[in-house]
Amino acid sequence: MTSTETIRAVQENIARVIKGKPHVIEMSLVALLARGHLLLEDVPGVGKTTLAHSLARSLDCSFKRIQFTSDLLPSDIVGVSIFNRQKQAFEFIPGPIFANIVLADEINRTTPKTQSSLLEAMSEAQISFDNKTYPLSPPFMVIATQNPAEYQGTFPLPESQLDRFLMRLRIGYPAPEEERKVLERPSSLHPAEELSPLVTAQEVVQLQNQVDKVFMEESLTDYLLAIVQSTRQSDLLSLGVSTRGALALSLTAKALAFVRGRTYCLPDDIKELAPIVLSHRIMVARQAGLPQRSFEQAEHIVRDLVDSIPVPV
Amino acid sequence: MPISQALHLTSMLLASASFIGLTLGAGLPEWLAALTGATLIAVLLRNIGIKSVERFTMQMPVSAIGWNLIVLGGFSGFWIDLLWISGDLLPAGLHFLMILLVIKLFNLRLRRDYLHLYAISLVAILAAGSLTTDLWFFPIFSVYLLAGVWTLLLFQLTKHSEVSGDVGMVMPIQQEYYEESNRVSPRFFWMANGLAGGAFLITVIIFFTIPRVTAGVYQKGFGENIRTSGFSDRVNLGSIGTIKRDPSIVMRVELPKSPSRDSRPLYLRGVSFDRYDGKVWTNQLSHRRSLIEESPGTFVFRGKQAVARVQRGEAIQQKILLEPLDTSVLFAAPFIEGVSGTFPSLFFDDTGAVYLPFPSSSRIEYTVVSRPTVLVPSDFGYEPSQYPETLVRHYLQLPLQSDRITTLAEEVTQRQRNAYEKATAIQTHLTSNYRYSLDAPLAEQQQPLEEFLFSRKTGYCEHYATAMVIMLRTIGVPARLVTGFMATEWNDYGNYYVVRQQDAHAWVEVYLPYSGWIRMDPTPTEDNPAAGGPVWQVFGPMMDNIRLQWNRLFVQYSAADQLAVVREFKAEGLSVQTKALDSVTALFGSFMAVLSGMVTHDMSQVRIGLLGEILGIVMIGLAMAFWLGRSQPWATTSFWKMTHSDEQVIAQLYRRMRTYLTGQGFSSSTAIAPLELVEITRTRWREAHSAVALITELYCRTRFGHIPLTSEDVKQAEGYLCRLLELPKP
Repeated sequence: MTSTETIRAVQENIARVIKGKPHVIEMSLVALLARGHLLLEDVPGVGKTTLAHSLARSLDCSFKRIQFTSDLLPSDIVGVSIFNRQKQAFEFIPGPIFANIVLADEINRTTPKTQSSLLEAMSEAQISFDNKTYPLSPPFMVIATQNPAEYQGTFPLPESQLDRFLMRLRIGYPAPEEERKVLERPSSLHPAEELSPLVTAQEVVQLQNQVDKVFMEESLTDYLLAIVQSTRQSDLLSLGVSTRGALALSLTAKALAFVRGRTYCLPDDIKELAPIVLSHRIMVARQAGLPQRSFEQAEHIVRDLVDSIPVPV
Repeated sequence: MPISQALHLTSMLLASASFIGLTLGAGLPEWLAALTGATLIAVLLRNIGIKSVERFTMQMPVSAIGWNLIVLGGFSGFWIDLLWISGDLLPAGLHFLMILLVIKLFNLRLRRDYLHLYAISLVAILAAGSLTTDLWFFPIFSVYLLAGVWTLLLFQLTKHSEVSGDVGMVMPIQQEYYEESNRVSPRFFWMANGLAGGAFLITVIIFFTIPRVTAGVYQKGFGENIRTSGFSDRVNLGSIGTIKRDPSIVMRVELPKSPSRDSRPLYLRGVSFDRYDGKVWTNQLSHRRSLIEESPGTFVFRGKQAVARVQRGEAIQQKILLEPLDTSVLFAAPFIEGVSGTFPSLFFDDTGAVYLPFPSSSRIEYTVVSRPTVLVPSDFGYEPSQYPETLVRHYLQLPLQSDRITTLAEEVTQRQRNAYEKATAIQTHLTSNYRYSLDAPLAEQQQPLEEFLFSRKTGYCEHYATAMVIMLRTIGVPARLVTGFMATEWNDYGNYYVVRQQDAHAWVEVYLPYSGWIRMDPTPTEDNPAAGGPVWQVFGPMMDNIRLQWNRLFVQYSAADQLAVVREFKAEGLSVQTKALDSVTALFGSFMAVLSGMVTHDMSQVRIGLLGEILGIVMIGLAMAFWLGRSQPWATTSFWKMTHSDEQVIAQLYRRMRTYLTGQGFSSSTAIAPLELVEITRTRWREAHSAVALITELYCRTRFGHIPLTSEDVKQAEGYLCRLLELPKP
């Protein structure tokens, strides 16, 4: 099976559970192949957890779920040291972070201290505990969810920490006919449980390495930089995209081209990804503030900016 | 080198060649030549990529309207020039042309501007061609031709093949995306040069076959003839001295009957003088009568000289190429029997000088047959001489002078009995007792001859000759002064004499009762230092020979020559070939002769000519075979693939499609990405979707993926584009 067929199979596999959302499935695969982390931001009950679960199930990877609450401690994520009487020494018991795919549910419900312990793991792909470093086995992907509707008792992630997420996705409500299919499914089993793994963790790493070989033409790099530059110069934004953001856009564009079976990027890839990859990395200027939720507004601004930049011909 | 940069360079070369040609040919004003030259250099430097120049030229705050205003200003300047400054259409037009060239060079942005530049260059090189006949035009024209072929090829290759040509015409050249991948390869280089060579060959063939009118119509030179002196009817003593230091060439003399070098100098007679008044020589017998035209272009001498009872020596045939001089005298070895050339008429006077109707303003070539007089033994006898009355009247005339000269003459000749011996004695006296020097300001003296003979005892040919004539006359021997040229410089490569201004000479003719006029030269030979170093000795004559052949084969190639070729062609089929080969051989031969001349000077000239011919043909043949073998231009399209890559073609097709779709109202923004456009057509113009999708796919693959296409892909894309253009509008 070629890599393209593999990816296609995984997409179809997940689509059996997540109905009517091929775009979201594709993007989550892009985030996986770009070695990034995913932030799902949507109202409860649209399948954020199910998506993460299905992805993990399809990949034959270890999957852990952490429900973030306000009294969660860092040791609940990273692990604890326990004194072992037989060995007369402290023994490290790994926490739920030691998995390939970690679902951090409602990440904004916990305290910044706990949040930061997770974010360190995300950027370093390793855990430091008691002066010892424990590497996390690749692939390592965090899928965090966040409820934008309810802000009471939450600790919103600062922009600098949002920057660690490769992309921010919204799932959205399914179309009525897709929703009907969900309802008609037998409720005895969790839908994700019926999925069979298609790809091993080793194969995922190989696919990730192949993404690096995707070719990006020079003019496309210029196009990408023009987009990034425009966010920094826009009057509507008080904070533009960082260099890490530009790097993320380039990485995801390659991953998207790969997912779509190409060995080279197109302007379309960049254009399509820009709102998803960039909108959580910017700050909307106050005077431009509209009675709209900020993340929708940011996406809108980025989309407008992209539409104003000529595509290389 | 990327093709677009090569185009810039060859365009500059083209403009430079025509500019240099015009500068040398028309003699532009210095400020204009300097301006144009500086502009060319600046633009060239900018193209090479020197930043400071780039910044300077970019900063010029002139808009498109500004440029138009400047052009208009130049045009009004042309009228001012025409009406008040130059007063002539040709120079004014040329000045305007150069102004236009400068403006265009500063304003080279669009492809259209390049076309304008080529047109200006063409006009300039044509003007230069009609203004000159000199050899330097040949290399410049060759460069122009080569650059022209290059430029047009490259221009065509960088052109966008948009059907609605306007898009391509106004698109700035600098914005070619594909230039990195498209470079001038060695094969392309040789291809272009081969084309230029082929074009030149065809031009040469056309040159020799197309009916001709004339050469160098506007050739520079009216009033700019070489200034000579000593050949008019009235000559001050010492006038030849003024031109004795001028090395410019006045004529070249070939001796077809005796091609090998004669060790004796060749005297080319101009005019002779009978009357001397102590300071000035005059010709009292200058009444001119026309020569009889025996056949068209051939004139024969039937004057007194011809019917004289004197015995004549062997005929000398000379082929003379005379530069434009300010005198109408026709030079030739004494004494002329017949002249042939393209003259309307010829005149002669009683001293044996032959004249053109007026001084020629261009180079002329003519053939002369002369017969020298020979000494007859009867003149060695001892009887006193009896002279006819006319001779006594004209050639025994003496100016008012002191007796010192008579005394001297008698002293020198007292032992001699006949006229010949007396003349020889005087000649010996002068050559042995006087020193040759050009630094003899005798002309200012009251009695220059006595000053020369008795006090200074240094002088040059005129002084010697005058002294001898006067001394002879005092003792009763008729004599006259002759001016002309003494040819001593032999060109080994072309087998001809080179005659320069400094070869101007004066000598004596003595009348002997039986032999007639005998030449005598009392001037001692001057110890001439070698001209130039060894390099000059090899290249100087060689270049001069090439110049001669150039003039003969190209500039002077006339309708008559052409008729001769045709006539010979009718006579025998092979002779044309021979003649054409002769022409080639003559040119090639001189080059080859130099090559071999660097090795050995003794090689036979005939064999070198033949060798040159064979070598030339073999080399051309080898080059052709090599080229055909290497590139196989008939079998593959590799040449076009290389220079006109599929990537370029597909990019052009895509741009064309995009332009078309924009025109149909589909992609209003440049921010629409390729696949987005496909999506738009899918939803809004289903019929066009498949074509757009295919072209876009191929385009994306090569443009962004750098994946090569097959020629079928390109054909398919072209087919789809045609179908798309034919679709009914949505």
